[in-house]
Amino acid sequence: MFDTILYVVMAVLSISMVGFLYRLIKGPTVPDRVVALDAIGVILISMIAVFSMIMRTSAFLDVILLLGILSFIGTASFSKFLAKGVIFDRDRNH
Amino acid sequence: MKSSDVILQTTSKIVFFVILLFAIHLFFEGHYRPGGGFVGGLVTAGAIVLFLLAFDIKTVSILLPFDYKWVTAIGLLISILTAAGSIVFNVPFFTHTYDHFHLPLIGETSLHTAALFDLGVYLVVVGVTMTIIQTIGESE
Amino acid sequence: MINLIVLPILIPLLTAVLLIFFASKVKTQRWISAISALLNIGVAFSVVRKVFVDGIQILNVGSWVAPFGITLVSDMLSALLVLTTTIIGFAVILYSFSSIGKEREKYYYYALVQFLLVGVIGAFTTGDIFNLFVFFEVMLMASYVLLVIGGTKIQLRESLKYLTVNVISSALFVISVAYLYSVVGTLNMAQISERIGSLEEMPGILTVIAVLFLIVFGMKGAIFPLYFWLPGSYFAPPIPVMALFGALLTKVGVYSIIRTFTLFFFQDKDYTYELLMILAIITVVVGVIGSIAYWNIKKIIIYNIITAIGVILYGVSVATTTSFTGSILYLIHDMLIKAALFLLIGVMIKITGTSNLRQFSGLIKHYPGLAWTFFIAAISLAGIPPFSGFVGKLLVIQGGFTAEEYIGATIILLSSLLVLYSVMKIFIHGFWGVPKEYAKKESISYRALLFPIVLIITISVLYGIGSDYVYSYVSQAVQTLVNPELYIEAVLKE
Repeated sequence: MFDTILYVVMAVLSISMVGFLYRLIKGPTVPDRVVALDAIGVILISMIAVFSMIMRTSAFLDVILLLGILSFIGTASFSKFLAKGVIFDRDRNH
Repeated sequence: MKSSDVILQTTSKIVFFVILLFAIHLFFEGHYRPGGGFVGGLVTAGAIVLFLLAFDIKTVSILLPFDYKWVTAIGLLISILTAAGSIVFNVPFFTHTYDHFHLPLIGETSLHTAALFDLGVYLVVVGVTMTIIQTIGESE
Repeated sequence: MINLIVLPILIPLLTAVLLIFFASKVKTQRWISAISALLNIGVAFSVVRKVFVDGIQILNVGSWVAPFGITLVSDMLSALLVLTTTIIGFAVILYSFSSIGKEREKYYYYALVQFLLVGVIGAFTTGDIFNLFVFFEVMLMASYVLLVIGGTKIQLRESLKYLTVNVISSALFVISVAYLYSVVGTLNMAQISERIGSLEEMPGILTVIAVLFLIVFGMKGAIFPLYFWLPGSYFAPPIPVMALFGALLTKVGVYSIIRTFTLFFFQDKDYTYELLMILAIITVVVGVIGSIAYWNIKKIIIYNIITAIGVILYGVSVATTTSFTGSILYLIHDMLIKAALFLLIGVMIKITGTSNLRQFSGLIKHYPGLAWTFFIAAISLAGIPPFSGFVGKLLVIQGGFTAEEYIGATIILLSSLLVLYSVMKIFIHGFWGVPKEYAKKESISYRALLFPIVLIITISVLYGIGSDYVYSYVSQAVQTLVNPELYIEAVLKE
């Protein structure tokens, strides 16, 4: 029973992933794409979590953390680039 | 233009250390399970990139006053010397050894010379990644 | 000392790392790299002696026994090539002191040269096909930076081409290693050889893999249809880098062809060796045509590399003891003499300020030492007795005739004449004739530049005169090529 629920969740996540992929490709603006990318990161994390529940293992927990960090930094840098046009300031007080 | 990323700056001050801890965890995890110096180094570089994002290149270079080319070289040196240490004992190059020790607080631990080699890898990865990112970031 | 054969790799690697720390101190860098190069010659020489006395040396890295871990194997062929590489490395480093310029020296030039040597020596020494790929990459990484360092316009353009070609060929390399692995199920060269040898008949897929390897190494070694990138890319960097590339990088490709073809694909020679022979002959022809067509001295020498590779590979494709001996003798001779020639034309370009042969003449009046050194190098290249090219070429051609491959042997014989013409053209037009006035600058640096060249030429002349002595070493190297069992036995059966 529990496994069935997990498989259903997996399917739902996959479908929403397709939706985000559509948004990523279609656009129409860059911020749309950035949000879609960030959301794909979240979906990936959830899929790995569900998958490790199905496999009854904790080996993938590190992967989840890693993906979380990467997608956070990625989104942060994208947003900064969109807002300011640069990623690294040389000196922010000037 | 004056910058006012208050949220990003406050968050990154805390998250930086969380990521760094995770990197250290990954580094030691690599002993028997997936992980190790390479991915640990990458995650550390990610933490530094987060600081670069939230603040600026000048502040970070005051915080972490390293020449990353030197970090790379030191890492390489550690790795090579660990591997070359086997020459002193007249066993084939790269042969590693380990033993069990009783450490205070941690308890029974097995210490492995491969971890030293991995430390070198860690430093090389941090050094190379940060050199690349700085070079790309600075050229304007 | 069981770690002896890893030392020629370890010394340049450690030196390279040390040099990174002294990036801003040019004087210290020079001393460190020269001393380490000299030390490495000594170590490489003792490896040769050791192999000569005790047979093939192996080292199981990390104490993992042969088919499971990575094995370093030093047979005579690789030991001799390592020795030659260290000698060339030393000479080029000496030459760089007064020619490469402070700007590049501060930008890790010497460290990169050492990394390049690590890759080359490692590729010669390794006994694991995937490890060979790794050392190829080490070598290529260093060569990318050496090619682009300094950042002149022509360098940037050519490095893009060079990078593309090599990335593609590296990808192909991994693909062909994967194919091979899927057929034989191992990466250890000796075990691959053993497993292929135990097959009843060579399956067709192995021929495909052989051709794939030929493409991969042929692209690095510049054989006929794949040489297109070489004349442009080698033209771009400064002279010492050009000498390193010309003398070492292509030869690593040639060595890999020799190694894989004698060790893996020795059973069914009909198709693969025939293909190699045809390509080798066309390579000779193309190289000769290029070298007599150009009036740019750099281009002339660059096309002579291609000719030499054709000659060596022709000897390999004939695959008799005589022709193998000839090939190896010629391979070592060619490494030495190509390095010397590149450095020589470097001096000429420095004096005259141009590489166009039509724009200078009469150098012999003011620079007799340079002229005679060049003369000796030129006739050695063409293979006139008693100089070093002679015995090698003689044995290659003799091997060709005894194997009744008349066409190829005749073409190589004729090509020697044209090679002689192409270098004599430089001598006649550049050194003879009315001396022109050049901006007289730094005659002291001219002496310093000539010293490493004289060093290489002396070694090459000794190599030619002492061919008898060298022959006993080379024949030991050939034994492994003709009988792969020797190699297998040394690696797999302790």
